[in-house]
Amino acid sequence: MFRNYFVIAIRNLLKNKGFTFINISGLAVGMACAILIMLWVESELTFDGFHENRDRIYEAWNRDSFSGELQCWSVTPKVLAKYIREDFPEVQDVVRVDWGANYLFSYKDKRIKEDGNIVDSGFFNMFTFKLLKGDKKTALNGSYNIVLSESFAKKIFGNEDPMGKILKVENSDNFTVTGIMEDAPDNTRFKYKYLIPWSYARLKGNDDENWGNNSTRSYVLLKPNASIESLQTKFKDIRKKHDNEAGTGEMFLYPMSRWRLYSNFTNGKEDGGLINMVQLFIIIASFILLIACINFMNLSTARSEKRAREVGIRKVVGARRIGLIGQFISESILLALLGGILSIGIVLLALPGFNKLADKALFIDFTNGWYWMAFFMVVIITGLLAGSYPAFFLSAFNPVKVLKGLKQQANKIITPRKVLVVLQFTFAIVLIVATIVIRKQIGYAQARQSGYDKNNLMYHFLTGDLEKNYDLLRNDLLQENIASSVTKTSSPLTESWSNSWGMEWEGKDPNDKTLFNRFYADNQIVKTAGMEIIKGRDFDLNTYKTDSFAILVNEAAVKAMGMKDPIGKIIRDNGAEWTIIGLVKDFIIESPYKNVNPMLIEGAGGWFNVINIRYQTGSNMQSNIKKTEALFKKYNSEYPFEYKFVDDDYAAKFANEKKTGTMATVFAILTIFISCLGLFGLSTFMAENRVKEIGIRKILGSSITGIVGLLSKEFMILVGISFIIATPLAWLAMGKLLDQFTYRIDLSLDLFIYAGLGALLIALATISFQAVKAAVANPVRSLRSE
Amino acid sequence: MIKITNLEKVYRTEEVETVALNKLSLEVKEGEFVSVMGPSGCGKSTLLNILGLLDDPDKGSFIFNEVEVAGFNERKRADMRKHNIGFVFQSFNLIDELTVFENVELPLIYTGVKSAERKEKVEKVLDKMQIMHRRNHYPQQLSGGQQQRVAVARAVVNNPKLILADEPTGNLDSSNGNEVMQLLTELNEQGTTIIMVTHSEHDSRYSHRIIRMLDGQTVTENILV
Ligand SMILES: Nc1ncnc2c1ncn2[C@@H]1O[C@H](COP(=O)(O)OP(=O)(O)OP(=O)(O)O)[C@@H](O)[C@H]1O
Ligand SMILES: [Mg+2]
Repeated sequence: MFRNYFVIAIRNLLKNKGFTFINISGLAVGMACAILIMLWVESELTFDGFHENRDRIYEAWNRDSFSGELQCWSVTPKVLAKYIREDFPEVQDVVRVDWGANYLFSYKDKRIKEDGNIVDSGFFNMFTFKLLKGDKKTALNGSYNIVLSESFAKKIFGNEDPMGKILKVENSDNFTVTGIMEDAPDNTRFKYKYLIPWSYARLKGNDDENWGNNSTRSYVLLKPNASIESLQTKFKDIRKKHDNEAGTGEMFLYPMSRWRLYSNFTNGKEDGGLINMVQLFIIIASFILLIACINFMNLSTARSEKRAREVGIRKVVGARRIGLIGQFISESILLALLGGILSIGIVLLALPGFNKLADKALFIDFTNGWYWMAFFMVVIITGLLAGSYPAFFLSAFNPVKVLKGLKQQANKIITPRKVLVVLQFTFAIVLIVATIVIRKQIGYAQARQSGYDKNNLMYHFLTGDLEKNYDLLRNDLLQENIASSVTKTSSPLTESWSNSWGMEWEGKDPNDKTLFNRFYADNQIVKTAGMEIIKGRDFDLNTYKTDSFAILVNEAAVKAMGMKDPIGKIIRDNGAEWTIIGLVKDFIIESPYKNVNPMLIEGAGGWFNVINIRYQTGSNMQSNIKKTEALFKKYNSEYPFEYKFVDDDYAAKFANEKKTGTMATVFAILTIFISCLGLFGLSTFMAENRVKEIGIRKILGSSITGIVGLLSKEFMILVGISFIIATPLAWLAMGKLLDQFTYRIDLSLDLFIYAGLGALLIALATISFQAVKAAVANPVRSLRSE
Repeated sequence: MIKITNLEKVYRTEEVETVALNKLSLEVKEGEFVSVMGPSGCGKSTLLNILGLLDDPDKGSFIFNEVEVAGFNERKRADMRKHNIGFVFQSFNLIDELTVFENVELPLIYTGVKSAERKEKVEKVLDKMQIMHRRNHYPQQLSGGQQQRVAVARAVVNNPKLILADEPTGNLDSSNGNEVMQLLTELNEQGTTIIMVTHSEHDSRYSHRIIRMLDGQTVTENILV
C-alpha cells in the first residue's frame, strides 16, 4: 500500500516540477528557520543546566529600596561568604567569584593578556567542570596555584605539558599550574580561561570585611535535603545582623534555574528576562513554519482539479476516505522530509552568520539521537500540518461527481485559501513594520548628540607600569606633538563604573537616594573629551594645585541637587570635600536610549584606570598610533599595547539593537519570500484555470492591462485586508517595543503605509509575472488547447 | 443477486429538482448479462452508480446478495464494493501517473492481497486481455481500445461477482468496441454477472436481456435468449 502511495507521490512530484520546487523550497526555508531557532532555544533552556548540583546551587542577591522602588542586584560584599558559612548549618559550601581580572601572563618570551577569575577553592566541588589534569579537591589549595582552560594552556605552552610549570602573572607573581580544565561549553556563565584561588587575593590585601564594598558574587550550595524556604526567611536578615549600616537592605537566595532566563527584576519581583525573547522567537519560528505550511495547503487545494479524478478512481476500486487521507498525508510528509533534508543544508550554511548574530557557538551534533528525533518531529509535524487540510479536502470528493467531470464550485475552494493568504501577508506586514521601526529607532539614537567629541580619541587601560610612568608618558605625548591633550580617568568615556547615593551637599534631603554616576579625571578632561562647558572651567592642575579636589558636574546633577548656582559649592563624597568648579553639558556615557543620569566628575584625588589621548584633527592616525606605541613600549615594556578608540566603543552601544534589527529584517525577508513563493504558485494555477476565459475576453476586445488587472485585483484586495488587520497589531507590538527606550521615536501612520505599500508592490510583482504571461498569450492557441 | 424495489433518487440544486430515478424496481439474477438502454438523461448512470454503491438512493430497497445495502455507511459500502464489484467506464478512468500494471494492481492493494500474489493475478489477467506486453506503459501511451482493455482487466482482477459497465464502447471505434464486448461476453460465460449501460443496439445484442428506461423508470424488457 505505501509503496503504491510512494510511487504515485514521486511521479506526481516529478510531473509538476514547478509545484514541487515551490513547495519543497518553501518548506525547507520554513523548517531551516525553525531548526535554527530551536537550536538557539535549546541552548538557552539548557544554560548552566549541566551542573550536577544545579538544584542546590543559589546565588546571593540583594534587595533594597531606592526612591521608593525596590532594586535587586547580585554583587555582594566579600565578607558575606564567611557569615553564610557560620550562620546556616544547612549550607554545604559558599564559593565567591570575583568581578574578574584581565591579567598579563608571561612564559619564556610569550606575553598574553587574558580574562579570568579569582574563586574560592570549592569551585570545582560546587560546579561541574571537568579537570583534564590535576585534582579537583586540591587544585586551588595553594595561594599560587592556577588552573588553566585547555585552550588557554595550549596558547601559552603549545604542546608542552603545562602541569607543574611556572607562569608569571602581572609581571610579579609566579604561579604553578595545578590543573587543566576542559574548555567551558557555550551555554554557561562560567567561561573563565583561568582560575586563581581566593587565598591569593587575601595575600595581596584584596580581601576586606567591608559591607559597603559590593564587588563579588557569592554562590551557595545547600546540603542535599535542606529546605530552601526556611533558609530564605533567615537569610533575608543576614545583612542587618552583621552590618550596622544595612538600613532596609535585605538578601535572598536566587536559584540557578532562574539565573539565565528570568533575572529581570522590577520593583523587587522577577519580571521576565531572556525568557520573553525565547517565547518571542518560538512564536516567530512557528509562524514562519506555519506560513510555509500554508503555501503547501494553498497549492495542494488549488491543484485539486488534477487530483480529483485519481481520488474518484481510487474510491471506485474500493479505497476508503480514511485510506486516502493517509495517502495524502504520507505524501505531504514525504515532501516535508525532502524539505527537511534541504533545510539541514540551509541550516549548515546559515549557522556561522546566525551564530554571529546571536553571539553563540551553536552547531548540529549529528551523532546525537535527540537531534534526529527533534528533526523527524519537525518533519512529521510539518507534514501533518501542511497535509491535513488538503487531505481532508481532497479525500472528500464524491467519485460520481468527479468522474463525471463536475468541477467543484470555485468559490467554495477559494475561501479558506483567501484566509490563508491574508494570514501570510498580515504576518509579513507586521514584520516589515518591525524592521522599519527598529531601524528608525537606531538611526534616531545614533543621530542624538553625544555631548562630547568621540572622534580622534583613543584610550588604553593603565596596565603594568603605566600608572607609575603616567606623568612621563603624558609629557612625551604632548612634547612630541603626538597628542593635543591627555587625561586619565576612572573608566572609559563610554562606561560608568561607579555610582552612589552617598554624596552630600548643603541642603540635601536626608531621604534623597538619587543615584549619581561617579567618574574621576585628573586634568583637562573637558578639553580632552571635547565636552562643552556651560559655566566655570575645566580641571587645570598646572595653574591650580587645588584642582585635585575640584569637581565638575553635569546639568542633570545640578537639577538633581536643586542648585541655582553650583560653582563654588562643596560636595562631600567618600570622606573628602570637593569644590564645584565647572558645569558641563550633559553627555552620554551610558545608554544612548536613556536620559542622561546625574554625574559628578571628581578630580585628581580619585583613582584611575584609563589614559585618554586626543589626537590632532586631520593628523595621520597610523603614524599617531605608531608613535604612541613606541612611547608605551618605552614606559611599559612588559605589557602589550592594546588601544581602543572611543568612537568604536560608542558605536558598539548600538550593537544589540542592530542585531535585533538584522533579525527582524531576516525574518521579514524570509516571510515575504515564502509568502511570495506561495502567491506565485497560486497565481500560476489561477492563470491556468482561467486560460479559456482570458482567451475569450481578449477576442472580445479586452486590453492586456485590463486582463492583468482582472487577474491581480483579487490578490490586491487580500493584501489590503492584511494591511487593515496588521496595522493595529503592529502598532501595539511596536509601541511595546519602543516603551523600553526613553529616548525614542514616535509611531506615525506613514510608517505603516510604507510597509503596506511595500507588501502590495512585492505581491503585485509576484502575481503580475503570471498575469502578464497569461494576458499576452495568443488567445487562439489557448482556446484551441481546451 | 440484485433486487431493487421502488428506488428513488432526486437531485436537488438551488433552482431545480431532478427526479433521476422514480420508483424503479428491477431484479438481476446471478450470471445474467443485462443491458440498460434509454435516452440521455433518463437515469441510467444514476442507476448504475447506486448499484455500484457509489451513490445512495433516497428511498427504496436495494438487496445485494440477500443483504439490504441501501443504508450502508461509507466503510461498509467501500468494503462491499471492493470485494464484489468491478467498474468499466466510457472514459476508461485510468490513473495517468500509474503504469498499466499498477493500475490493474490497485483493487488488489485495497483488498489487502500480498505482493507476490498480486503480481501473479495481475499478470494472469493482463495475459488474458492480451495487453501483457504493455504492462510498463502509462495510459497515455496506449490506444483507446488498449486503455479500455486495461480498464476491464482492472475491473475483473479481483474476480468480482458483478461488473458494471457504463457505455464501455462509447469512446471506441467499432472494431475496438467489438473486442471489448467479446471480453465481457467471455467473462459472463465464466459466471460473472454483467450490467451494462449502452446506447448501441449492436452492443446490446451481446446481452441476455435489455432493460429500457425513460424518465427514471423501466418501460420495457426484451429477453434475447
Ligand atoms: N450531480 C447531479 N446533480 C444534479 N442533477 C444530476 C446530477 N447527476 C445527474 N443529474 C440529472 O439526473 C438525470 C439522470 O442523469 P444520468 O446521468 O443518470 O443520465 P443518463 O441516463 O446516464 O444519461 P446519458 O445517457 O447522457 O449518460 C439527468 O437529468 C441529470 O441531469
Ligand atoms: Mg450516463
